[in-house]
Amino acid sequence: MKLFGNGTASQRIEMLKNIPVFRELSRKEILEVDLLLHERTYEKDELIFEEGDAGHGIFIIVSGKVRAKSSHKLIEVAVPEFGPGDLLGELALFDEAPRAATAVAMERTLTVALFQAEFSSLIAKNKNIGVKVLLEISKTMSRRTRRLLLQEKSLPCV
Amino acid sequence: MKEFPQPGAITLLVNIAVTCLLLFLFQKIIWLVVPVLLALVVYYCLRPIVDALVVRGLAHNTAAKSVWLLLQLATAAMALAVVLLVAAKATTWQSSFDRYLAGGENLLRHTAESLEKVVSAFKKMGLASQLDQRAQQFTDQFAQKHLVPIALLLLKWLPSLLLVPYIVYFMLSDSTQMKKYVIKSVPNAFFERALLLFSRLDASLQNYFLGLLMLTLLDTVSLALGLAVLGIRSALWLGLAAAVLAWIPYLGSAAGCVLVVLIAATDFPDKAWMAYACLSLCLIVRLLDDFVYMPQTVGRKLHFHPLLSVLMFLLGATVAGATGLILALPLFGVISVIGEAVSQIVTDHKLIARYKAARQLAALRI
Repeated sequence: MKLFGNGTASQRIEMLKNIPVFRELSRKEILEVDLLLHERTYEKDELIFEEGDAGHGIFIIVSGKVRAKSSHKLIEVAVPEFGPGDLLGELALFDEAPRAATAVAMERTLTVALFQAEFSSLIAKNKNIGVKVLLEISKTMSRRTRRLLLQEKSLPCV
Repeated sequence: MKEFPQPGAITLLVNIAVTCLLLFLFQKIIWLVVPVLLALVVYYCLRPIVDALVVRGLAHNTAAKSVWLLLQLATAAMALAVVLLVAAKATTWQSSFDRYLAGGENLLRHTAESLEKVVSAFKKMGLASQLDQRAQQFTDQFAQKHLVPIALLLLKWLPSLLLVPYIVYFMLSDSTQMKKYVIKSVPNAFFERALLLFSRLDASLQNYFLGLLMLTLLDTVSLALGLAVLGIRSALWLGLAAAVLAWIPYLGSAAGCVLVVLIAATDFPDKAWMAYACLSLCLIVRLLDDFVYMPQTVGRKLHFHPLLSVLMFLLGATVAGATGLILALPLFGVISVIGEAVSQIVTDHKLIARYKAARQLAALRI
């Protein structure tokens, strides 16, 4: 018996399946991950997180657009926008360093957040899911790092 | 629970006030509070087993259901064993109970007589005869005055206690959703901080309850070993009973000690030193508990100033009687952690400013 249902399971699975970081997960695995995802909606111009904040998790954009601002020149140049499926603040999953940029919603934006401590416990409990999700996050991170190193501007990085 | 810094004076006063208010309210719905608290303890003790099953490949729901089912079977088996044991040994226990009460009475008389020999003022007061008279009255009227009310009280609590397994079930299977539901009500500005504090609180509570279990185990082993060396019968069961009683702050330890001394005094009526040896053993285990076991097990347990502990006891007793006496300290501990967490959030000016800005943006949209 579910006391705290939130939309039908198939709708949620469909929504999450469209997010690149979860695309390799099976239906059952997505349901496990869904238990840990926190849905947040941000109004236009609302701050999602601020540069210098302690980061405790990642945000994945489901719909809407997000702009990143930073005092770090390289990020400012490389950045500009994040759209549906993009990850925000992924470095917080691996260390507790302060956020390198400020993320602001450019329009009404729906995100799902994955908290670092919950993600760690998920990896411990279900290595299969952990490997698949981490691999997708690593791909994004390596793409962003390469583009930063090569000073390419087509992919954002925070 | 030590990750949180010491609270300021205002936070402390607010925590005390909230604790008193909750104790007052809890007293009115004590039939619900006790099963919820017990369920919370059981939940935190069972959760690591559910997690271990999930690691071994079971889906979370299946693991939760399996552990809950095992708990039900174990409880049913234990209840059946207790009923059968009571039915078979009721008469023996009644006579043993009378014997141990008489043993306690003897010990009291001997101690009073010894004191009279040393202190003449006690002799003038007639301490031994007075104590003897009172103890006689107590033992004579014990069955009529206390046994029936205790039995009625147990019957009254039975329906309430039957709620425990159901609450545990929902905690095991739906705790993540419950947490999501609570976090959902937190404004965006405080979201990450609230998640972090929630997670710390959850981990601290789990450490606390598991630590308490480990502490009970260590207390049981220490007492049982000591009692076995002294030659007391059923040393293990006696140690376990005293260790479990110690869960009730201060009063429980005293009750456990009285139990052990009473049995020693009865089983060895001619060896008064045996009762004193048992008393010393209880005190030594208490010291070990405070200075060795507790820092090793419930290391992160909240440590209050002794004056504050006494104050909370008195306030608890005044506001909610016996219930307040038992619940005051644990409840104050939980309220202190939550209070500190909330004060950290609401006093962060940056987060408050962000929250106000977000509210303005939401109002503009409407």
